[in-house]
Amino acid sequence: MPHKADYDLVNIQRWMQSVITHPLGVQAGIESPAAQDEICVQPEQVEGVICPSRNRTSIQRLEVYGNAYFARLLECMREFFPATADALGVDVFDQFTLEYLQRHPSQSYTLGHLADHFVSFLETSGEQAGETGAAHWSDFFIDLARLEWTIDQIFDGPGVENDTLMSTDQLAEIGPDRWPHARLIPVVCLRLLSLKFPVSNYYTAFRRQQKPAIPTAAPSYLALTRKDYIVRRFTINEPQFTLLRALVRGEPVGAAIECAVEKVDDLDHFAETLQSSFKLWASQGFFQRVELTQNS
Amino acid sequence: MRPKCSRADTVVNPLKKLMNIPGTGGARDIFHTGCPQDFCGQNAGMIARRLGHENLGLGVGLRTVHFSHILKNNPPVDWFEIISENFMDSRGRPRYVLDQIAERYQIVMHGVSLSIGSTDPLNREYLQKLKQLADEVNAFWVSDHLCWTGVATRNSHDLLPVPFNEDTLRHVVSRIRIVQDILERPLVLENPSSYVTFAASTMSEWEFITRMAAEADCGILLDVNNVYVSSVNHDFDPEHYIRSVPHERVVQFHLAGHTNMGNYCIDTHDGRVIDPVWKLYQLAHELTGGVSTLLEWDARIPPFEELHAEVLQARHHMGGQLDHLPPPVAAPDTPADGSAVPHPLHYVLPDVR
Repeated sequence: MPHKADYDLVNIQRWMQSVITHPLGVQAGIESPAAQDEICVQPEQVEGVICPSRNRTSIQRLEVYGNAYFARLLECMREFFPATADALGVDVFDQFTLEYLQRHPSQSYTLGHLADHFVSFLETSGEQAGETGAAHWSDFFIDLARLEWTIDQIFDGPGVENDTLMSTDQLAEIGPDRWPHARLIPVVCLRLLSLKFPVSNYYTAFRRQQKPAIPTAAPSYLALTRKDYIVRRFTINEPQFTLLRALVRGEPVGAAIECAVEKVDDLDHFAETLQSSFKLWASQGFFQRVELTQNS
Repeated sequence: MRPKCSRADTVVNPLKKLMNIPGTGGARDIFHTGCPQDFCGQNAGMIARRLGHENLGLGVGLRTVHFSHILKNNPPVDWFEIISENFMDSRGRPRYVLDQIAERYQIVMHGVSLSIGSTDPLNREYLQKLKQLADEVNAFWVSDHLCWTGVATRNSHDLLPVPFNEDTLRHVVSRIRIVQDILERPLVLENPSSYVTFAASTMSEWEFITRMAAEADCGILLDVNNVYVSSVNHDFDPEHYIRSVPHERVVQFHLAGHTNMGNYCIDTHDGRVIDPVWKLYQLAHELTGGVSTLLEWDARIPPFEELHAEVLQARHHMGGQLDHLPPPVAAPDTPADGSAVPHPLHYVLPDVR
C-alpha cells in the first residue's frame, strides 16, 4: 500500500468520485478499476485514505456520500418528471433513471441540464426492447416524459414577456396578395409536439391529483408557449401541426398551407377554420412578427 | 489589486434601507453597521471587520415556494440569500421574481457549483455568468463553499471535502485569486458539513480556513450548524473551531437544522436550529461583534412566517451570557432515518396551464 503522502489531490478526487458514484456501493467502488487506477487500496485498507472516526468506520463514512449521490439525483429527476414517475411507479422510474444517470452523468454546473438526454434514453430503451412501429405502451411514458421536459424547458428558457408581439390586427392588415409570401416568425418559446398518446389530458388530470388511467393510444398534437411566465398548452390537429411546423422551419404562409393540405381530409372545413386558427395563434402570442418579403 | 471592500460600504439602495426600518425588530439597531473605520483588533492588522462588508441583519434563503408570499406581503426581512445557480441561467419566472425582490430587498448570492477545490480547470463561462448576475441584482457579496463538486468533467452536485494540507492550500488559494479577479470582488467561502476526513490531511479545518482566508484575502461564511455537524462526525470541539477562525474575516453566518443519525449527523436543512447550535452562534456572535446571519431551510420548508420567526430567534442569542457549551454528541433519542440526504438540491418547479 502506498504511503498516504503519495496521494495527491488529483488522485484523491478521482478515486473518491469513482468510489461514491459506483452504482453497487462504496465497497464495489473501491474495488473498481477506475478507483484502483487512482489509488490502489482494497476496502480493508481504506483507512490509509479515509480516516475512521470514533464511532464510524472509513467505509461507513464514505457511504454517506455514496448513498447521497444517487438519492439526490433521483430526487431531482422525480421533480423534473413527476407525472412520468407516478405513471411508471417510483421503483420502475428509479430503475430507468439509475441506468440513465450512469450513462449520462451530470457534466454541468446546474441541475437544469441533468435530464437533457432522458427522453432520448427512454426512446433508445424502447427500441432496444424491440418496440418500434405502432404505438406501444412504452410510448406513453416516452410521450409523457417528453411533455414534462418540454414544459420545463419553456418555463425557465427564453421568453417574450417584455416584447411586443404580432397582434391579430397586424395579421388582419396583411393583404390577400401578400399573405402567401408572408413569413410569420414564431416566438422563441413556441414548441410543437407530435405524440402517439394523448398525454396532455393525462398530465392535466395528474396535476389535479385525479389519478388518471393510462389512455388508449391515439395520435395527438400540441403547441406550447409561454405567456406571463406561465407555460400554456394548445391541442391542435395534424394539419395545424404540419402548418405550424412549416412556419417554424421558415416557410412562407402559402407554402406552409400547402404542406398542411397534404394532411387534410376535409378541405372545406380546413379552409373555413384556417383564418380563425391564425387569429387564435396570434392572440395567444405564437408569433413574434410578420416579415413581408419583396415578393409579397 | 483586488478590492478590500464591496461597493456595499458606500452604495446602499435607499429603498432597500426603507424596507428594513419599520417593523423589522430592529436588526440594524442591534448590530453596529460596517464602515471603513470599523477595524478588528487582535491579529487583524488593517483588515476591516467583515472585510468591510455591511452587517445586513437577519436574512433567510429565498426559496420558490415563498415567491408569491414575498411579492404579495413584502415581509419585513432584512435580506435574502439566493442560490446563484437557480438564477444565473433563468430566463423565466424565477429570474423575473428575483428582479422584483432585488428591487425591494438586499441580496446576497450563494453558490453550490464553484468547485473551488477541484483539480479540474475553473469554469470561466460559469464565472462570467456569476459575475453578470451579481452585477445585475446588485449582490452585496458572492459566496460558495470550500469544497469540490466533481472532477473529470463530472459534477456530483455534492459539496465534497478536500484534504487539509499544504498542496491543497496552494491549489485553493491560487484558484480563489483567479475567481476574485474575474468576479472583481472578494470571494466569501463557507465551511461545508463533511462526513469524511483524509489521511492526507496535515492540519485542522480551522487552520486551513484561517491560512486560506489570509493568503487569498477572501472572506469566510461561517456556517455554525456545519461546524456542529462536522464536530460530531469528526470528533472535534466545535467551540475551539469557532474560537480559532479569523473573526475579522467572517462576513456572514449560516444557521440551519440537521438530521441526527444516531452516531453522526447529516446537514439536511430540514428543520429548526437546535440549542447547541444556537449556543455556538452566541459564541460566534460575541467573537465577531455580529455579522449578517442567515437561516437555510431547504427541505420540508415551512410557511414563510415560521421560517422568518426561526431566524429572528437569533436576537435572543446576541449579547447573552455564554453558558457552558454542551458536548457535541448526538442525542440518543433522535431516530436515525436512512433516507436523509445532505443538501444542496436546487430545482424550480414550473407553472403550467
